[in-house]
Amino acid sequence: MTASDLWVLAQAAAISLLMALAAIAFGTLLAVALTPLAFAPWALGRAIYRLYIFVVRGMPVLLLALLVFYALASFWGRISPYAAGIVVLTLYLAALIAEVFRGGVLAIPRPLWDCAKSLGLPRLSILRRVVSPLVARYALPPYLNVCVMAVKASSVLSIISVWELTLASREIIERTLDVYRVLAVAALFYFIMCFAIDRLGRNLESRLAARGFAGERL
Amino acid sequence: MIELRGIRKSFAGVEILRGIDLSIGAGEIVALIGRSGCGKTTLLRCINFLEDYDAGEIKLDGEVLWYRADGTGGRRRCPEKDLARQRQRMGIVFQQFNLFPHMTALENVCLGPRFGQKLAADAAELRARELLSRVGLADRLNSYPAHLSGGQQQRVAIARALAMKPQVLLLDEITSALDPELVAEVEDVIRALTQEGIAMVLVTHAMSFAREIAHRIAYLADGQIAEIGPPQEVLDRPRDKGLREFLRRIR
Amino acid sequence: MGQYRAWLEAYGAAFLDAAAWTLGVAVAAFVCALIWGALLFFLRLNGGPWAARTVDAYVQLLRNTPVLLPIYLIYFGFPLVGLLWPASICGGLALVAQNGAYICEIFRGGYKAIDRVQHDAAKSLGLMPWTAFRKVTLPQLLVYCIPALGNQAVLLLKDTSLLSAITVVELTMQAKVLTERTGAAYAPFLVAAVFYLFMVWAIEFLTRLAQRGVRWR
Repeated sequence: MTASDLWVLAQAAAISLLMALAAIAFGTLLAVALTPLAFAPWALGRAIYRLYIFVVRGMPVLLLALLVFYALASFWGRISPYAAGIVVLTLYLAALIAEVFRGGVLAIPRPLWDCAKSLGLPRLSILRRVVSPLVARYALPPYLNVCVMAVKASSVLSIISVWELTLASREIIERTLDVYRVLAVAALFYFIMCFAIDRLGRNLESRLAARGFAGERL
Repeated sequence: MIELRGIRKSFAGVEILRGIDLSIGAGEIVALIGRSGCGKTTLLRCINFLEDYDAGEIKLDGEVLWYRADGTGGRRRCPEKDLARQRQRMGIVFQQFNLFPHMTALENVCLGPRFGQKLAADAAELRARELLSRVGLADRLNSYPAHLSGGQQQRVAIARALAMKPQVLLLDEITSALDPELVAEVEDVIRALTQEGIAMVLVTHAMSFAREIAHRIAYLADGQIAEIGPPQEVLDRPRDKGLREFLRRIR
Repeated sequence: MGQYRAWLEAYGAAFLDAAAWTLGVAVAAFVCALIWGALLFFLRLNGGPWAARTVDAYVQLLRNTPVLLPIYLIYFGFPLVGLLWPASICGGLALVAQNGAYICEIFRGGYKAIDRVQHDAAKSLGLMPWTAFRKVTLPQLLVYCIPALGNQAVLLLKDTSLLSAITVVELTMQAKVLTERTGAAYAPFLVAAVFYLFMVWAIEFLTRLAQRGVRWR
């Protein structure tokens, strides 16, 4: 493994990170739209939510990726692996994040709902000023957990030819047979990314707990 | 039979035990009393080495327990196997949640003899049945702890400790966590045991019970045995000022 | 409809075969991962400070890197040292290594639920550490951790799909092969998805059953 290989791996790591971040951003938006469905007053809405979660979490990310890739390709012809990859990750993360948000809502102590209602606040106001800030705090540690999973899931996309850290490593290995060193470098990059997010999560978790927001760590 | 000499122990910079000397004869029953946090439970746990101690010596029938001289004047922990063997010569009953919840009463009592003393399965079971009927639970052999009352659980725990045929029984406030109406059944079992000639060290707040069964009562304060003697003297004619204050408070 | 019927008759067997493979690898890997995770946890508890630190480092490393890396490590690395094992074994080993680490962490969480007094009781009975672990700690851990272990089993099942990257013909790979062979766009993937959904549901069902089956709680 040469220095230029090392540089290639670094660039690939950056791409992994960017894809993960993009998917997290889109996934969060989608989740924000999904989570209210889980609490919808109409049973169909709740069923749709549960079906979405069940389907997305019931199959491997790889299968989801292949399905989306081939399905999109059959509708739109040739499609960029990156685009397909981000779509897949978004759909996948949205399910996880929606569950995290749902857990956050459920973690709000019962009495707080009653307080908000008895203050006579309008629905939207309650949502904005009471629910959302609380959910954000309860959900933060598991949310960061999902961010770590996003980085790890990006590696699966290598199998549908998305060029990122895992695929780059495999290419170099197949070319140079320098298995241990290449994988050590790749592992190091992933480790740094994931560990940093994890540490951030724990730090925030202890600071939140100190202010009374200790919740269950998923 | 048991000799404690110069036991010292510190926790996080605070000295809990400051040189305990105590001798317990075969078949003797000693009660340890004192304020909360005075170190009586710590001392008990040092005796069967659930806590290590910083200095001092514990001997059972003349054999030094838990530590060996390492030749340069210092001491080393005995290897795990010897520790296990030494612990089998004592039995301990704790204040709460003694029993293994995933085993029946019978299995709980069999565990030590079978896997600690390597007894054969049927011999161990025979011993367990006999002990469980002695503590009055012959009809609850196959019950799980979750289905037993606190008093019943403690009686099983006593049977389990006795199953090892120990030379001394250590009892750590075994009735403190029980509802009042269940205390009597446990005290009855201990009372019956006093006839068997087994030595006991009990940490307790139950003064009347201690007075009834103990040969000597030791009062711990400031990490030392401030006063020790027969119950009539220690409880009725205390000499130590702290002890008098303590007895006054709890009456 | 008739087209799908013919299709099913032609390829149904292949799918069932691949599904059986997937399930087999998943079950074998999970059992081995349980054993490996228990061993790791025992080492962490009783091996002394250095052993505990090593186990922690191992667990942290495997938790913060994607599963594909250990899979590639074993698949590409073993032949280099002369171990020419079949791809499924290489992949299975990697899955065991990874999931053992996760299971060790799961046990670590469940350990706090076991009252400290029980360890004292086991020690006082003169049980050696391994015996105490085997008879007292582990049985309780397995029960307290049933939900988390069930979850991990689902994750492991899904991770078997990654073995398609090293030529193992499991369910996902089978679907891919059929897609290319028959030109059937994405239908095979849907079939594979149904298989996975069913298996995941079955695992969750068994997990709930296991929780209810415990007599001593």
